[in-house]
Amino acid sequence: MDMRRFLDLYIAETQEHLRSLSRTLLALESGSGDAVGEAFRSAHTIKGLSAAMGYGDVAQMAHKLEDTLQAMRDGTLQADAQLIDSLLREADALDHAVTHAVANLAPQLDGGAIATTIVPQSTAVAALAAVPMPERTTRIAVVRLHPDAPVKSARAMLIVRGLAGRDGLLGSHPEEYADDFDGILRIFFTGDVDEGSIHETVMRAGDVDTIEFYSPSDIAPVASTTPSPVPPARGGTVRPTRHVRVDEARLDGVQESLGELSILQNRLHIGGSARNGDVDIVDRMRGLLSELQLAVLTMRMVPLSETFERLPRVVRDAARMCDKEIDFRVEGDEVELDRSILNELSDPLIHMLRNAVDHGIESPEEREALGKPRRGQLLLRAERERNSVRVMLEDDGRGVDRKRVMAKALKLGLVSASEAATIPSDEEVFRLLAHPGFSTADQVTEVSGRGVGLDAVVNRVRALGGAVEMHSVDGAGTSFMIRLPISLALAQALRVRVAGENYAIPLTHLSEAIELDGMISMDGDREYVRLREDTLPLIRLRRILLADRSQAEGAAVIAEMGERRAALAVDELVGREQILVKNFDSAVGTLPFFSGATLLDDGTPALVLDPLSVMQGR
Amino acid sequence: MAKTVLICDDALFMRTMLADILKGAGFEVLGEAQTGAEAVVRYKELKPDLVTMDIVMPDMGGIDAVRAIMKDDPQAKILMCSAMGQQALVIEAIQAGARDFVVKPFQPSRVLEAVQRVMG
Repeated sequence: MDMRRFLDLYIAETQEHLRSLSRTLLALESGSGDAVGEAFRSAHTIKGLSAAMGYGDVAQMAHKLEDTLQAMRDGTLQADAQLIDSLLREADALDHAVTHAVANLAPQLDGGAIATTIVPQSTAVAALAAVPMPERTTRIAVVRLHPDAPVKSARAMLIVRGLAGRDGLLGSHPEEYADDFDGILRIFFTGDVDEGSIHETVMRAGDVDTIEFYSPSDIAPVASTTPSPVPPARGGTVRPTRHVRVDEARLDGVQESLGELSILQNRLHIGGSARNGDVDIVDRMRGLLSELQLAVLTMRMVPLSETFERLPRVVRDAARMCDKEIDFRVEGDEVELDRSILNELSDPLIHMLRNAVDHGIESPEEREALGKPRRGQLLLRAERERNSVRVMLEDDGRGVDRKRVMAKALKLGLVSASEAATIPSDEEVFRLLAHPGFSTADQVTEVSGRGVGLDAVVNRVRALGGAVEMHSVDGAGTSFMIRLPISLALAQALRVRVAGENYAIPLTHLSEAIELDGMISMDGDREYVRLREDTLPLIRLRRILLADRSQAEGAAVIAEMGERRAALAVDELVGREQILVKNFDSAVGTLPFFSGATLLDDGTPALVLDPLSVMQGR
Repeated sequence: MAKTVLICDDALFMRTMLADILKGAGFEVLGEAQTGAEAVVRYKELKPDLVTMDIVMPDMGGIDAVRAIMKDDPQAKILMCSAMGQQALVIEAIQAGARDFVVKPFQPSRVLEAVQRVMG
């Protein structure tokens, strides 16, 4: 049996249990429920799976972890922070060992070789189940070596050699021994077998623990997994859905082809409208195509839990380092997001969490003095909102010290003295905090690190087509909201017309749209738009797009990039629609203002305008 | 009549220790060898009942010595003495014809058990 076939399954299952292990180990600290039992089951399962794959080292590590957890279960070990520290380290090491084993070793045993040295209760029947058996086998001797026998494989060879020449001896399994031979030898016989004499010969070979005889009919026809003396987890981790693993690049390929197909379909649509009979077919094709495109996008979606699962550990480690006491909760981690976005989200989230732990939440003593509960509350929750996902991070800490922010901003020359004297709004505070190099922390701490500021977070989220907002209440806490598109390819866009052409502008960087009538003022040769308190530069898209400028634009959209805002003048605002962006990399010097192309709802193609590059390239 | 043994090991400490254990079990130590090549020559010369053979020795290794001795005398009773972590070499030695093995650090009881199996 080729165990490589099971490798993917092994990886998937082990990963699941490793995640569960780190989750439950963290839960141990808060003393919740049956965390020990669950952690134990995870360690146990990892051990069994690894042993079955022939990854002896991994199995041993899991076994050690299991021992400790067993002692905690029995009450002989108490779960304190030090113990959990060390358990978490062991779990990390186990994680590395799995990765290492998978990367460096082919599965080393063929078939159900369950390490009896570490699972002594495992039945020989199960150990036999997946072992290939010579055809005429009528009797099987299962020989177990002493768990501490040295060089078991050599001993097994000697045992088989000792039986050489016997009537009815068909062979043995394994036939060849790897370094991590698990010490269970199966010897196959046919015909009448003198069990007593075999027993004697085998025992005489040395280091033999037991020898048992079985008939082929004793053996379950299906390959069984590690027999578990542990009751299965409650609540059921069984997933009825069957999954296939697909290389991301293949999905990209399908998506590309679908894009091409859409364009062809569009040409049919335009050219075919003359021939009445085909219109229905072309329309139906368009419907199916967009369904297919959505289906592919959906395939790229993964639940937030893939990233969120690692975060409790981040919070715990940060809290330990800053001597904070924190209850961290995660909600809505079943919400799905395109994998490429999720991958990018991890760093910003970790940064924000550490910030909240380090700067947001007060020390337990400080909290008590303020009449707050000792333990700070930190909540990470996610919500699906039409075509975007909102990720919120809320703490009940001290809130942002607006006076300090203003003082710092004044020092950095970001605000005037009169501005510094006012109480800034949330938006203003956030804009200042997100300014490169701005940090209210007087010292760089080990936890929040140096160099990476809120500006990096904001830039990363913006690059993904998202936005960050902040809300803070003095003494009561701070919350951040990250809004992200669910897919990089799918965007909400505003359809505009400029010089007779359609363009799509993704909404993520737009704050509002205005009528231009009577709003333009001049300062030298520069044009400005007065918007409430602010004066924004006006950029005429007709000029940017080198179009005929005889006609005046009627409307503008307000684009935002960090603190910078600008009004982009367009002929007409058509409406809002969901678009599927086909990104392209424009050659240097051509089309610098476009990030991609799309087909609009009515099937017309349009270029996707990138308001940020328009602002920068002005 | 006492059984006879040839002890092959490049370390004096090991030879002395093995000699002690085996003498205690009633063996007569006919001779010692410090290299594989020496072991082959001494075996032909002494025809002992038992040979203890270190795996890693200068000149000719223990495994090649086993092959050479077995070629000369297929009935030779050779007990391999291996250090920890030499699984592959132990297996090779057994394929070459060694009858059994013990793993260093030696426990006298295990050495004697193995000797008994080899002589049995």
